[in-house]
Amino acid sequence: CSDFGDMNIDPKEAKIGEAPPETLFAAATKQLSDQMTSTSVNRNIFRLFAQHWTETTYTDETNYNLITHDQPGTHWNELYRDVLRDFDESRRLINLTDTQLTPPAVIDNQLAIISILEVFTYHVLVDSYGNVPFSEAIDINNVLPKYDDDEDIYMAIIDDLDNAMSMITVGEPSFGSSDLIYGGDVSAWIKFANSLKLRLAVRIAKVNPSKAATMATEAVAGGVFTSNADNASFQYLSADPNTNPVWVDLVQSGRQDFIPANTNVDIMNALEDPRRRIYYDQNLEGDYVGGIYGSNSPYRDYTHLGSIFHQPETPGILIDYPEVEFLLAEAAELNLVGTPADAEAHYNNAIIGSFVFWDAGDPETETPPSAIALDYLSKPEVAYATAATTWQEKIAVQKWIHLFNRGFEAWTTYRLYGFPEMNVPEISGEPVPRRYTYPLDEPSVNGANYSAASEAMGGDTKASRIFWDVE
Amino acid sequence: KTITGTVSDQDGLPLPGVNIVVQGTTNGTQTDFDGNYAISASEGQSLVFSYIGYKNETRAIGASTTINLQMSEDAQALDEVVVTALGIKREKKALGYATTNVGGDEVNTAKETNFVNSLSGKVAGLDIKKSNTLGGSSNIILRGYTSITGNNQPLFVIDGTPVSNISNASSASFDTTTSDQTQGRGGYDFGNAAMDINPEDIESINVLKGAAASNLYGYRAANGVIIITTKTGKRKKGLGFTVNSGVTLSNYDKDTFPKYQTEYGAGYGAYYSGPGGYFFEQDIDGDGLDDLTTVFTEDASFGAAFDPSLLVYQWDAFYPESPNYLQATPWAPGKNDFSHIFNTGVTLNNSISVSAGSDTGSFRLGYTNLDQTGIYPNSKLTRNSVDFNGSQDISEKLTVGVKATFTKTDGSGRNGTGYDGRNVAQSYRQWYQTNVDMAAQEKAYYDTGRNVSWNFGGDPLTQDGRKPIFLNNPYFVLFESYESDTRNRIFGNVNLTYKAKDWLTITGRTSLDTYSELQEGRIATGSVDVPEYSRFNRTFTELNYDLLFNYNFDLSEKLTLDGVVGSTARQQRIESIRAVTSGGLAVPKLYALGNSVNLLNPPTEYLGKLKDYGFFGNASFGYNNLLYLDISGRYDISSTLPEENNGFFYPAVSTSFVFSNLINADWLSFAKVRANYAEVGNSTNPYRVYDSYANPTNFTVPFFSVSNQKSNADFVNELTKSYEVGLETSFANKRFGFDLAYYSTQSTNQIYPVAVSRATGYHTLVVNSGQVDNKGIEASAFVSPIRTEDFEWAINGTWAKNESEVISLFTNPATGEEVTNLQMASLQGGISINATVGQPYGSIWGSNFTYIDGKKVIDPTTGRYVVDGTPQPIGDINPDWKGGITNRLTYKDLSFSFLIDVQKGGDVFSLDTWYGYATGIYDITAGTNELGNPKRDPVSEGGGILLEGVNPDGTPNTTRTSMGNYANALGYVRAPNALHVYDASYVKLREVTLSYQLPKKLVDNLPFNSISMSVVGRNLWIIDKNMPYSDPEAGLSSGNIQGYQSGAHPSQKEYGFNLKFQF
Repeated sequence: CSDFGDMNIDPKEAKIGEAPPETLFAAATKQLSDQMTSTSVNRNIFRLFAQHWTETTYTDETNYNLITHDQPGTHWNELYRDVLRDFDESRRLINLTDTQLTPPAVIDNQLAIISILEVFTYHVLVDSYGNVPFSEAIDINNVLPKYDDDEDIYMAIIDDLDNAMSMITVGEPSFGSSDLIYGGDVSAWIKFANSLKLRLAVRIAKVNPSKAATMATEAVAGGVFTSNADNASFQYLSADPNTNPVWVDLVQSGRQDFIPANTNVDIMNALEDPRRRIYYDQNLEGDYVGGIYGSNSPYRDYTHLGSIFHQPETPGILIDYPEVEFLLAEAAELNLVGTPADAEAHYNNAIIGSFVFWDAGDPETETPPSAIALDYLSKPEVAYATAATTWQEKIAVQKWIHLFNRGFEAWTTYRLYGFPEMNVPEISGEPVPRRYTYPLDEPSVNGANYSAASEAMGGDTKASRIFWDVE
Repeated sequence: KTITGTVSDQDGLPLPGVNIVVQGTTNGTQTDFDGNYAISASEGQSLVFSYIGYKNETRAIGASTTINLQMSEDAQALDEVVVTALGIKREKKALGYATTNVGGDEVNTAKETNFVNSLSGKVAGLDIKKSNTLGGSSNIILRGYTSITGNNQPLFVIDGTPVSNISNASSASFDTTTSDQTQGRGGYDFGNAAMDINPEDIESINVLKGAAASNLYGYRAANGVIIITTKTGKRKKGLGFTVNSGVTLSNYDKDTFPKYQTEYGAGYGAYYSGPGGYFFEQDIDGDGLDDLTTVFTEDASFGAAFDPSLLVYQWDAFYPESPNYLQATPWAPGKNDFSHIFNTGVTLNNSISVSAGSDTGSFRLGYTNLDQTGIYPNSKLTRNSVDFNGSQDISEKLTVGVKATFTKTDGSGRNGTGYDGRNVAQSYRQWYQTNVDMAAQEKAYYDTGRNVSWNFGGDPLTQDGRKPIFLNNPYFVLFESYESDTRNRIFGNVNLTYKAKDWLTITGRTSLDTYSELQEGRIATGSVDVPEYSRFNRTFTELNYDLLFNYNFDLSEKLTLDGVVGSTARQQRIESIRAVTSGGLAVPKLYALGNSVNLLNPPTEYLGKLKDYGFFGNASFGYNNLLYLDISGRYDISSTLPEENNGFFYPAVSTSFVFSNLINADWLSFAKVRANYAEVGNSTNPYRVYDSYANPTNFTVPFFSVSNQKSNADFVNELTKSYEVGLETSFANKRFGFDLAYYSTQSTNQIYPVAVSRATGYHTLVVNSGQVDNKGIEASAFVSPIRTEDFEWAINGTWAKNESEVISLFTNPATGEEVTNLQMASLQGGISINATVGQPYGSIWGSNFTYIDGKKVIDPTTGRYVVDGTPQPIGDINPDWKGGITNRLTYKDLSFSFLIDVQKGGDVFSLDTWYGYATGIYDITAGTNELGNPKRDPVSEGGGILLEGVNPDGTPNTTRTSMGNYANALGYVRAPNALHVYDASYVKLREVTLSYQLPKKLVDNLPFNSISMSVVGRNLWIIDKNMPYSDPEAGLSSGNIQGYQSGAHPSQKEYGFNLKFQF
């Protein structure tokens, strides 16, 4: 008896099923890159955890205060709600695609890429918090999802990664231009998946060496990144809101919140590292001086960040070639693939790759980055044979230096190897966190499961450890 | 034979509309405009004359065919006719529910820009929280919050036209609770729409409190109804003019402003260079030696102790126009603190109205101009309203009425709110240097027109280095980055009344409420934030079509039946569009979208539509002025519900028993008991049934994303059930009396989005369950201790206590598990406002102290509180009770009254002290400790403070803790949130009025009918409060997110003078 018709359907929003699946995939990819790249104190403070950067005036985050801005909450929200949810919906829509119009191989390629990026996202979640919702996640019918064991999640996503690679048909298209990382090139995605697999293998080497060895061997056999051209790189644009998120915080904000930390500057100064010219600004006369990590450090008194961090179009990176070479060096030392004898070559490749990646040549003498890198490698403090007493320290320090713009991996490098040595911030006196605490609202929206997970983690504290983080 | 005659009132003026019935028959008539009547009756029969507000008169018919009659007012019944649902006038004694009537003079003598504020303390059960911003909204809650996340504000009805009172926050959709502004993330409080009602036009206000009272209005009245009757012309000959002129001055209340410490200047601690590490060093005068400069970057006052003998280059040494250019000045507290910024606000209120009446019609036309400048520079509000109210008889049976109000409101420089650079209170309450002289800041802006801030990040000797870093010059903010807004609104109705039979009147009414508004935001070039121009256009239209059949019968001599049957149809449409420049403004001061540096991002569009139909009826039985029974019901069909469940019915029954009519005692003037049971169904906002995708700004390819809210295709209407009992009495010829009410409501099946674990992939899920119970007691009483012919002292008091409890929320669809907490807002500082099962609605969660045996635990090594970081309930937004007492002294034509308004309990979290105690701006962060030593001295030298509490082993704390820098025990770095939760109790002298009406004999010599004048004061004195530095009433906006202050504005003392002429 009513004449309401469809007036209760929002005329300004696309109905479910009416948006093309690649639009959701593309949106989720950008969210993932944004979240990993950002340096907002509300979203991503891993550059601070890694002590690459420090804060000038407001030092809450460098003192590991996770309450004031609830970064764990935002990180979690972004990854579940804005990344995984859209990947999942994209997959649902792809599964409804008419196979008369789209060949099954293309559909499988699309599904495989989604799966690979989901694996990436879940490993970030596990590495951030430990136990997280996985088997019951992304299901609105269950608003109280249980948290799965972190190691179990790893095992599951490693299988997912293998399955995804097996679905790919090289030579067939996938997402085309909506693939904002590789432009739809599925062979590049296979390399990405293998590189990710290698990363995961090295992560679990201490707790499951045999599995790690198998994975690393398979990954190398399947083909990992072999040059910086393979990098998983998200190219940002020049205008808001599509710029590199770092530009928003460093340039657009007009603020002076971040400077290189003394932890980083002191190490690079000691090595007279040529990459300093890229990482830092020469705003001070004389030497580079890093802000005192965790203490109030007036911006004017310390070295500033280099110009590459002030460009809106600087790409965001998920995995790059130098990291892969470092991983291969680690895998060699760990006897996962190859032997310790192979480590040095990978280490050298990694550092050369890093100089190329950072474009750390000398423009005045027109010396290319690779030549500068070779010179650098000849220093006793850098050369693999003499750099430090343990391989862990040699690799960790250099890997950490390379990862200057990727706080999450740099922090994880420290968690894995305990190097380089970190400073203790003055105000809190706390050591580097081993994990993020859970989001502030989880106790109120998912209380029982939160409590169970906290207990399983040994308490919802920054000192609790992810399963692969063993002493 | 035919009896004729004239009925007049006490003054001899003809009385139209008097009912005349031949006793014991249904034969009746009414007097015409001139008070004349004619009726056929036989000798020996009697005529009964009745008229509302007058004593019934009976006259036996004798030989004469003429009966003239002068009726006298019934003092007892005079003020007891009230307007109830759908505009039906009822005798108050017949009502089985609580209503409170407020005369128009209560809101148009001590005028508030938002008339609703004038009701505070005058209506038991009405909780009004006034915003302290210019033209800001008022939160209005009747008998507690009932809807978990939906609208809890009452419905406003003006002369039969429902008028929207949604918040004007720049929220695109129906769902105003999600607006950034209401959650403290910056913006402006544009007020709520009821403030478009001009107090000057109000004749009377009736507040319908319970579901039984509002049942006929349907679901929109679930939170009660405020019925406003506006002034109209009287059906008597001649023209009448009223001219009213008023001026109100307002000053900020020092008790609601920070008390700054004046011992230490800029800095966060000893982190820099110079003496003690409190300054920057730079060679300013070029002598090759470093000089001291202020730590310009630091927006805190944990720096060097003031020492006038120390010369420092301060911010005003660097802009070339400065009198102190390149001069070091003594290190001393700012000569003028931030309060220098306040002006005296001036409100001019001028109105003129004309009314006229004839035999067959009458009208009133009024025009009012309100012109207000606020206490902040460059803030102003003007409102022009034209109000027309008229009726005309087309024939003896048909009357047409028109009511129309046009209002144009223009705001400019409204006060920013929340944690945002456009709210200068963010600086003066949270981030500030006490060495800054605000008069010098003012001069710097006036002399240069630039954003010369005290807070910049670069080399002070370069223009670029003096670009503000965190905080702007506040004058630059107020004069350059101002908002402006305009709203044009028309509301009113056209109605036709047809007297079909003696017992049946048919009314048709079409009501319209429509407005269009434009809100423009600016961030000027040179500001801390990226320059910006934003515009938000919104149009709102609501149409209501009502058809009412009013009937009344005398079933027997003693039994009457009257009531209404009718239907209503409503259409509402909200359309909005918001566009913002991107990347800055190419040309400074050009505020146009085309001036965007980057390509514009797509504007945000919203189009919301809803429609519903209602069918209703009621029957009121009256027995011998003694016992009344009212039964009503309504059936609604709403477009926002799922199609298969979109209709719902709800009944109400109420009764009134006037037992004083059984007791014939002089001391008892009036007494009745009343009781009712009622249900009110409720619908929901549009677009909660079907899912859709959000449309983020495109990249190189289009983007879509799953909406953050999961819809629900399977829900039914909300339902509130309530019962109420009451007792109403007056004694000793109405010298004193009281009214008591007890009520209990259960609001069930609520339709609302709940925050869920984001691991579900969603932010919120629309559910259809949950229950909130409210119960409460309301009391009002009056007494006239002295009443003589010339003098009266009358006291009116109100008191109300409401207790709410969240009974249930929802169950997890997958497991059937109960969800016990719902986060309604997550706010800066780590605070959230929640609906928690077993707690009152609106519990404040955050980190807490750790307690042993009720004592706060102190860490014996640091002397600081041991913080329990797990979020938990630490406060409750609801007051324990509210009350008000009005004293009115009247001597002849002179009247003096004052109102004391009281709130007990309720909690507020202050983000202002949360940050401000860490930045060292408040007096509490300096001075001396219990040893008489400066608190800020190192603990090792006898400084620091000793917190009250115990060590973990239960022994009293003896460890003093440092107050030397921002990481002290009281500020946000170390303190639990609970330290910054304050008791919101207050006792306020809300209103003082002195009115004088010129004696008639004096006026008679003048060309006026009457002249009155009044002097009024509002919010003159906060007699008592527990919240430091602030008004506990101050909040962000109206809505469900209360109990939180961020960048709160001070309250204002208002002094007004008003003059009124009638001729």
